[in-house]
Amino acid sequence: MNLYDLIVKKIKDIQAAGDESPVTNISTSSMLTAEITLVSSILVALIMLRLVSKVLMIVAVLVVLFAALTAMPLMPKFKKEQNDSLASMMFYVVIALAIVITLFYWGNLNV
Amino acid sequence: MNLLIALMVIVPILCALFLNLLHKRDRTIKVVTVLLALALPALPLLANYGLHYFGGYAPLVENPTLSANLPSMITGTALNTFHPAITYSFQSAQQLFVFILGLVALLAIFVSLFETRRPSGVYAYMMFMGVAAVTAVILTDDIFNLYVFFEIAALATVGIVLVSNIKGNYETALKYMIMGSIAAPLLLLGIALLLGVTGNVNITDIIYSLKNGLVDPQNPVLLMACGLIIFGWLYGSGLPPFHTIKSAIYSKALPSGAALIQTFSVFIFVALGIIILRIFSYLPFSQWVILGVSLLAMILGITMAILQTDLKRMIGFLAVGELGYIGIGLGLSTAYGITAGLFQAVNEAMITALLFLGFGVVLYQTGVSDTRKLGGMMVKNPLVALMVLLAGFAMAGVPPLNAFQSKLMLIQGSIKAGLPELGVIMILLSIVTFMTFMKAFHAVYLRPQPVDLEIKNEKIPKATLIAMLVLLGVCLIFGLFPQIATSYLQPLATSLAGGML
Repeated sequence: MNLYDLIVKKIKDIQAAGDESPVTNISTSSMLTAEITLVSSILVALIMLRLVSKVLMIVAVLVVLFAALTAMPLMPKFKKEQNDSLASMMFYVVIALAIVITLFYWGNLNV
Repeated sequence: MNLLIALMVIVPILCALFLNLLHKRDRTIKVVTVLLALALPALPLLANYGLHYFGGYAPLVENPTLSANLPSMITGTALNTFHPAITYSFQSAQQLFVFILGLVALLAIFVSLFETRRPSGVYAYMMFMGVAAVTAVILTDDIFNLYVFFEIAALATVGIVLVSNIKGNYETALKYMIMGSIAAPLLLLGIALLLGVTGNVNITDIIYSLKNGLVDPQNPVLLMACGLIIFGWLYGSGLPPFHTIKSAIYSKALPSGAALIQTFSVFIFVALGIIILRIFSYLPFSQWVILGVSLLAMILGITMAILQTDLKRMIGFLAVGELGYIGIGLGLSTAYGITAGLFQAVNEAMITALLFLGFGVVLYQTGVSDTRKLGGMMVKNPLVALMVLLAGFAMAGVPPLNAFQSKLMLIQGSIKAGLPELGVIMILLSIVTFMTFMKAFHAVYLRPQPVDLEIKNEKIPKATLIAMLVLLGVCLIFGLFPQIATSYLQPLATSLAGGML
């Protein structure tokens, strides 16, 4: 089994049971592009931590790189999470509210 | 006093109410709607810059006759400068925003009248009402008035989706309302906290109170208010975690409706973003939150767009991703960065509208929006294909189109602000945007037509072609002569960056 077949198999494994859409060449290459874009964008964004601390930046980049490599492929999981179910949308809305309020209240008082 | 400023909001509301009365009179609706819609882009061009005080209640400082008879405990304090009336401010940036909103609305309404078999007064009502609400959000200097129109815009959006008659539209609209029932009251709570601390709802007066020591800027209640207002901003503009429902809303509206709804999102994003910058710019943390959320919107929007097989959903996610570019500009908080962000907003409103209308032609002809079932449309309508191709190039930032100029400015702005990483990410995501678009373009236009694809309507309404040509023309003009747009935006950007507002 070559690398491409391995990727297709992994996508099929992660894809939701209810998702009947076939895994085609186009969908696989789209998934790969999204995967590479996601990981590279996050890694480049993490470099901005240099403004806080260079050591923190290096540690964060290495940790995220390791986590991304071990958890790959991330995009099928991300796609599954960003579905149209009201329950999951509500879940992320509540999480976002908590993060925003915590960051503002705690972040501004302590920075 | 400039009555035309108020008329920019009042005229679309009156148009909406009038059209609703004409229910079922198809021909009359068609003629009256086009005539009334022409006023939308015309009014901001005719109005003079200035302030409008509803009820005519100007601040005491501007009314010496009245203030002469008042005790010094009023005239000698900040009360002398406070704004007792709901105040609308109309400057060059607002002129450009309201003009572009009016232009997209005019073209969307124009297209909707000819793409639907029976023009609906109710549909036109929703479109006009949404335009009135978003215009008010752009113009108002009163944060409670902003909330009222923010809610009206959300309801108009739901209405546009409800009348679309697309499978699943009721469910999506209901979900959007449920989400709104969480986020909008929290925005209102943030406004209430701001009112509680400063005793004011006028934004200029709130800023005066913060800058002149009338209230403690580090008051924890203000921090909470900022967090809640930012949360409302996420909902209103469709930033994460609301990007999924927002893209679903776009996909469940008719192409003309989706074109207009995304314009609402862009200008609500800009209007609230400006208010957050004006009031809370003294908190450096707010700048980082704007940058972080925008970055997340870009990454999630564009990576999700490439996975979509539904045309409208794909553009919906791309639209969310493009909002991130605007946010990056605002978050940079430099005059150059903010100008670039605002310019990107103007460009995105037009380009995304053009893409919705362009791919809407495919939907109109075939009734299919799934890229896996489409193909061969280049042969059917090469002119539309060319315009869609140029719109896609514009969105990805290919020269000489308008988004090339704004994206280039954004990248230069991020480098000047000492954050070249943002420039790298923006370039990377523009390339992926280009790839996403080309994937859809290939599937719809270049691939051979599937045997089972049925063309239901051979003839494309001329209104759609005219609307697309107009939008493309403006995109090209702004691409070749960006200073036409940026000269309108620079005064606002400079004052925001200098903390003068």
